[in-house]
Amino acid sequence: MNRTRILLSAATLLFASGAMPVLADDVVLGGSAPMSGAQAEFGQSQIDGAQLYFDQLNEKGGIKGNKVVFRPLDDRADPRQGTLVAQQFCDDSAVIGVIGHMNSGVTMPALDIYSECGMPQVVPATNPELMRMGFKTVVRPVANDFVQGALPAKYVTGKLGLKNAVLVHDKTVFGQGISGVFKDNFEAGGGKVSGTYGTNPEDVDFSALIASIKLENPDVVYMGAGMPQLALFLKQMREQGLKAQFIGPDIGFTVDFITQVGAASAEGALMTFQLPPYDSSPELKDFSDRHQARFGRAPGPYASLGFANAQVMAAAVEKAESLDREGVLAQLHGVTVDTLLGPVAFDENGENTTAPMYLYVVKDGKFELIKQ
Amino acid sequence: MGNSVIVRRLGLLAVLALCVVLLALVPYLPSYYVRVADSILVYIILAVGLNLVVGYAGLLDLGFIAFYAVGAYAYALLASGQFDIHLPFIVVLFIGAAAGAIAGVLLGFPVLKLRGDYLAIVTLSFGEIIRIAINNADDLTNGPQGIAGLDRASLFGLPLTSPVHFYWLLLVLTVIVCAGVYYMERSILGKAWRALREDQDVVRGLGINTTTLKLLAFALSAAIGGAGGVIFGAFQRFVSPESFTFQESLLVVLIIIIGGVGNIVGVIAGAVVLVILPEILHFAAQYRLLIYGVVLVTVIVLRPGGLVSPRFNLGFIIRKVRTLWLSPSKT
Amino acid sequence: MFDYFLQQLIFALAIGAIYGLIALGYTMVYGVMRLINFAHGEFFMLGPYIYTFLFSGLLGLGGLAPVLDSAIAIVASFVIVGLLGVAIERFAYRPLRAYGRLAPMLSALGMSIVLQSAVRVTVGPQPVHFPAIVESTPIDALGGMVTTVQLGILAAAVLLMVGLTLFVNGTRLGIWIRAASESWTTSSLLGIRVNRAVSLVFFIGPGLGAMAGIMYASYYGIMQPTMGSVIGLKAFTAAILGGIGSIPGAMLGGFLLGAIEVFGTAFLPILSFGYIGTEYRDVFAFAVLILVLLFKPAGLLGETVSEETTVAKKDY
Repeated sequence: MNRTRILLSAATLLFASGAMPVLADDVVLGGSAPMSGAQAEFGQSQIDGAQLYFDQLNEKGGIKGNKVVFRPLDDRADPRQGTLVAQQFCDDSAVIGVIGHMNSGVTMPALDIYSECGMPQVVPATNPELMRMGFKTVVRPVANDFVQGALPAKYVTGKLGLKNAVLVHDKTVFGQGISGVFKDNFEAGGGKVSGTYGTNPEDVDFSALIASIKLENPDVVYMGAGMPQLALFLKQMREQGLKAQFIGPDIGFTVDFITQVGAASAEGALMTFQLPPYDSSPELKDFSDRHQARFGRAPGPYASLGFANAQVMAAAVEKAESLDREGVLAQLHGVTVDTLLGPVAFDENGENTTAPMYLYVVKDGKFELIKQ
Repeated sequence: MGNSVIVRRLGLLAVLALCVVLLALVPYLPSYYVRVADSILVYIILAVGLNLVVGYAGLLDLGFIAFYAVGAYAYALLASGQFDIHLPFIVVLFIGAAAGAIAGVLLGFPVLKLRGDYLAIVTLSFGEIIRIAINNADDLTNGPQGIAGLDRASLFGLPLTSPVHFYWLLLVLTVIVCAGVYYMERSILGKAWRALREDQDVVRGLGINTTTLKLLAFALSAAIGGAGGVIFGAFQRFVSPESFTFQESLLVVLIIIIGGVGNIVGVIAGAVVLVILPEILHFAAQYRLLIYGVVLVTVIVLRPGGLVSPRFNLGFIIRKVRTLWLSPSKT
Repeated sequence: MFDYFLQQLIFALAIGAIYGLIALGYTMVYGVMRLINFAHGEFFMLGPYIYTFLFSGLLGLGGLAPVLDSAIAIVASFVIVGLLGVAIERFAYRPLRAYGRLAPMLSALGMSIVLQSAVRVTVGPQPVHFPAIVESTPIDALGGMVTTVQLGILAAAVLLMVGLTLFVNGTRLGIWIRAASESWTTSSLLGIRVNRAVSLVFFIGPGLGAMAGIMYASYYGIMQPTMGSVIGLKAFTAAILGGIGSIPGAMLGGFLLGAIEVFGTAFLPILSFGYIGTEYRDVFAFAVLILVLLFKPAGLLGETVSEETTVAKKDY
């Protein structure tokens, strides 16, 4: 019978796929991000970055002589899938640490599962709420959205003295959250936010919206959204003659942004990012070159973050007294390590105490660092 | 009675015992497999609910996930710290089903005059409207952030914490829902629905109120969807609009079509295949969607009636079993 | 305020024209096949990708002026996507004709997933910059600003619609299509090769979609594998709004949807004193759709003869 055959083979494959050969002394670390679907580009870049670091480690002999096996699983940016992935890692006693997930909405229900099985977790998602839920098994090396939204606000109110802002966000957790943070800081700096506008994450045409915004004549437009929306918006802004100062978050810090907007129109746009420029230090240049060599393309939007997360996890495993979850967990919060993002140390909530953030401006078709 | 009868009956009992044992063994697998089983059961419940409207009444609802969302958010609002209301799980289960039913009737009214593809697109719009509304109503639903830290569900004093607890709960519920729908299918109501699906105008000509029939179908299927949503909320203890996209609606429709429309056994088969397939394919993450699409097209082109033929439904199985059990010895 | 209104009107017309062009493809296929071709949005997406491939290939060969290369690439994209449409109909939809309307629709859905994933796997998921085919120069018009590109899109859309209507009403092939839309059995009895009409529709429809895709990519400067799904849904809504099966209906629906979106964004916050923000724009569009269908179940320009003629008796 067709159905029986299909079901039987399905069941066999399912069971078989769970049993992968692992040498007894390998250090197995899990990772999860969206690797398929609309956010594949971002999730995959994180996975690539982490993979790069672990490959580097293995070239030098691994951790304490043991090979590092990195096992990335796709969470499809779906909270339900995230819980299945989390459970899968938890069930596999060989996995002693997980780097995941990328989306805050996916991370939230997963935190519960990791905590319950005592899995040390390094989380890339930037929503501040995550670390305030009281879980003891998780740390976040990346600066959260509070830091990212504050920096440009201080700059434009302080250095540039701009008074009037309009917020645009795409109604996602990230977009809405970070524009809210910008608003608080902008108003604290003496500015006034005259309007907040929502769009959809997949919108391409902002002409009607921009025509509306033009009526308010703002000095600043802060956009909490992803790519390519940031580029499309700015391009259409300039086409309509709206000359306001444009500010965007870390997702926009890519060469694609400048190409899609057009170098002339992008001139002067501000963008935040967690890293100093790729050629500002030998480590970064090395990272960029190695990434190009290994994957055949320049580091994607979150590759550096993935790399840094991997460094933190590896540092914890290195210091662990036993190569299991308890051992790594005991060291996780106390990790202090120099990563690609700079020095990392954690406070009692698991947040990075020194979360650097950098502000860039587009000048002559390239991103140029302003200040820290 | 001859030997062969005893042998046949023993054989039937053995098959039954095997099924029971297999189902009872699931909790002893690693939690991941239990969670997958939970997922399959939830989708079975949802698909059986949608089947009422699509398979029996012949109305294509592409926005079914909206009722699921209503149920889930009902739990999120009535059993969490959001407004500090903490109703017990069983109460919210009924409220969620009722809320789903109301939403189903609300959807049913405007689409009464529509047929086929118009109906499909309007139900799709309705699903999207619900999702966008939930995403934008920040004060009520926390918008895109979602609501976290939902209460732990407990049933008659027993707390439901692990996937295994939910497995048993879902198993019981699946049986109840399937049995209920099966009897409904065989009742006068079911016959009226089937007539509706064949030719709406003849039904009206016979003096049957098609409006009530359609609304009833929507309400009942939506109630089942709402109940499923409440369980989802209690299980994941976190709800956000990301879980209620058009893709999810489509998945439930696919389960019914691939499995076999209007057929409970087919729905079960479809749910198992469509939930397990992506799990098997996770080693090829980038190619997963491509393979998924190819499999979909191939299955539909090769077996357009669904994996399970409409003849092979629950009634057929029951009749077969009864015949095998009761028939005198054959030589 | 008049300037503002006029400016928004220009935007509405530009977007509406693109929606209308895609809706044309949906409506033609539906008219003949009674099939919601979920994969139509992907033909729209394939257009710019195939164009880019061909254009850079031709440029690399040298020998012809870039303008000529561009024109050849556009025509070639139309033909290639059109042929792809014919092939897909032949292998994924035709075998399912006897199985009601649900099975082909889901096959279309599967094809949509396959096409999108295939592009994503080969070219990558990231959005790619699409250089404008024609440079845009703004023209001042009565206080608003309209660009040459917008005018071009509008002109192209109107031309294509007029051309299509003439084709369908005037030529013999067009008569085949109209006959097949009316009734397959009668048409076959009259000696019309229905399958040819179907293949023709699946050549023109996806081809038009590809053209719309190239225009869209040139207008916004970007193309990505997911651009088909979002816009496919919108264009389908536009087709339903205008009355599916009706060519002028598709264009009307397109412009109407464009207007709803643009004016929804522009005036919803103002009219609701800030309660309903711009993010409710899609909800507003869907609500209008439901309202229209409540009063005109076959869409604005759809046939309201009787329910039997608009849809088949038995859906599955």
